[in-house]
Amino acid sequence: MAENSGTDPAVETNTEENAAASATIIKVTVKTPKDKEEIAIAEDSSVAQFKEEISKRFKANQDQLVLIFAGKILKDGDTLGQHGIKDGLTVHLVIKTAQKTSGGGSSQTSASSGPGPSQGNTDGSANSSPAGNLGTPQGSAPSLTPTQPPNMLAGFGDLSGLANLGMGSANFMELQQQMQRQLMSNPEMLSQIMENPLVQSMMSNPDLMRQMIVANPQMQQLMERNPEISHMLNNPELMRQTMELARNPAMMQEMMRNQDRALSNLESIPGGYNALRRMYTDIQEPMFSAAREQFGNNPFSALGGNTDNSGAQPSRIENREPLPNPWGPPDTAAATTTSGTATTTSSTTSSTTPSVSNPLGISSSSLGNGMFNSPGMQSLMQQISENPQLMQNMLSAPYMRTMMQSLAQNPDIASQVARPSFPKQQLMQQMLQMFAGGNASTPTPEVRFQQQLEQLSAMGFINREANLQALIATGSFGDEIWKSYSAISSRLPL
Amino acid sequence: MDQHDSTFGVQLFIYDLSRGMARQLSPIMLGKQLDGIWHTSVVVYGEEFFYGGAGISSCPPGGTMLGPPDTVVELGNTEVTEEIFMDYLSSLGETTCSGDKYRLFEHNCNTFTNEVAQFLTGNKIPSYITDLPSEVLSTPFGQVLRPILDSIHIAPPGGNVISSQNNHG
Repeated sequence: MAENSGTDPAVETNTEENAAASATIIKVTVKTPKDKEEIAIAEDSSVAQFKEEISKRFKANQDQLVLIFAGKILKDGDTLGQHGIKDGLTVHLVIKTAQKTSGGGSSQTSASSGPGPSQGNTDGSANSSPAGNLGTPQGSAPSLTPTQPPNMLAGFGDLSGLANLGMGSANFMELQQQMQRQLMSNPEMLSQIMENPLVQSMMSNPDLMRQMIVANPQMQQLMERNPEISHMLNNPELMRQTMELARNPAMMQEMMRNQDRALSNLESIPGGYNALRRMYTDIQEPMFSAAREQFGNNPFSALGGNTDNSGAQPSRIENREPLPNPWGPPDTAAATTTSGTATTTSSTTSSTTPSVSNPLGISSSSLGNGMFNSPGMQSLMQQISENPQLMQNMLSAPYMRTMMQSLAQNPDIASQVARPSFPKQQLMQQMLQMFAGGNASTPTPEVRFQQQLEQLSAMGFINREANLQALIATGSFGDEIWKSYSAISSRLPL
Repeated sequence: MDQHDSTFGVQLFIYDLSRGMARQLSPIMLGKQLDGIWHTSVVVYGEEFFYGGAGISSCPPGGTMLGPPDTVVELGNTEVTEEIFMDYLSSLGETTCSGDKYRLFEHNCNTFTNEVAQFLTGNKIPSYITDLPSEVLSTPFGQVLRPILDSIHIAPPGGNVISSQNNHG
């Protein structure tokens, strides 16, 4: 027994002095919640010995140590081998703190999980009871029964049930915002929500809807400024219509698109454009700021509020809603309430405004003069050229079409696109035309691609099947690209 | 030391946060098939424990906003008593699993669940769950969305936060 209590951190010298004769040292990782250490110990040590080492290393009392391996608590009398603890394995350690509070049973409020628009704080001893009863059925040691886990304390009552998709946060507003973001960036989700019977029933209750809308302070402000809105809200017939619409996103989109077209026709009337602009600034701006701020509160309020008045403005407004640049850095993905005219405003960061027709919320400012020069757009171009698959993915997404349509209808874009001063603009132009060119009815692929097929075969691709496949795969993209191509090629001296 | 031989069953509750949408949309958006956006929690001692933006929380099993789990996996049994477990959770909650340490991709509810599962039973949770973040990040779309996603904290409401001060009264 030469070495005695040589606290050599590297090697176990203690074990040598112990009864354990064999010297197979294994390295066992001991892990606490806070940290972990590697401890070398003889393979056939007892748990007690192991604990001795651990207590030195972790500077804790041996009595405080609780070792767990594979779900079993290691008792002092056991050996490591008994539990199958070998080299390289991990043993968990819990260092018991001195006192245990017996019965932390202060009043506990638990958040209710029921859905409901109010954020009430429901008092429930839901947590206390199961915790308290835990002792007996589980057969834990008697010393534990009086102790209901004191850590189940409350304090979480802010956020009780608001129907959501399971994504939320402790903060109500944050929850709303997140939800909005999710919703608006994904119309599929939106339609799913719409289909949810709970939502449907909510929507069919005009009073409830009105309440929700009106409850929002921003909305109230808006209503003051623009009495027509409150008028609309008070008109049950209109409300019901609106909600019918809102309930059916497809119909909504359709309507919006029609109105968009109507409005774009307006533009061609002399002086019409100015009228539109005025309209926009008068109505859209406040709506925007309202919508933006109260973004969290009610996803459908903007929708509802937008189909008001003469009916003409709102959908136009909808369309002009800024869309964040999905391909740019998220900070610049912004909504700005600029007038949709040629004035460029730089994007600011804020949340997007809700709109079914602009799910991506591409910023209208970046769609202004600086569109093709904005960093977002450029990175988009880059990405696209590097990864054609990405383009394919993006374009085949269902909402791209609507977005592109909105883009195309924005008079700025139209003028931008018409200016052939930029090499990549060609591509953009084609893209926009293609999507603006519309989609309404799609006859069978063969018919649709009749022209293209002819052209393809004229070019020498005689395998009609393959051609058809390719055309179908590229979908409408191909459709319009082909149109443009043929338009161009017919003019070029090929 | 006063030992007892009873063991406690440990279960893993798996929820699909996307409610099936990931299964439908992932091929389009990400280019690969993801069957769900998994959120997990450990159920033991008649309570459900999970980690989110609010820290470690607990609630009656299936008691969060998410409702009942999509899948339940039996992780095994543990001898660890509730008291010890609570100690463990408190330490964990103070150090590596506090609310602000939540990271959607690197250190999320499933990370926590994996740790706890190993602590209690020695078993890990199914790998398709822990592989999810890397699966998403390996797609170009995931990379693009990453900055946005990073800031999202998932914290299904319905639970009570476990904090250490409760432990020591």
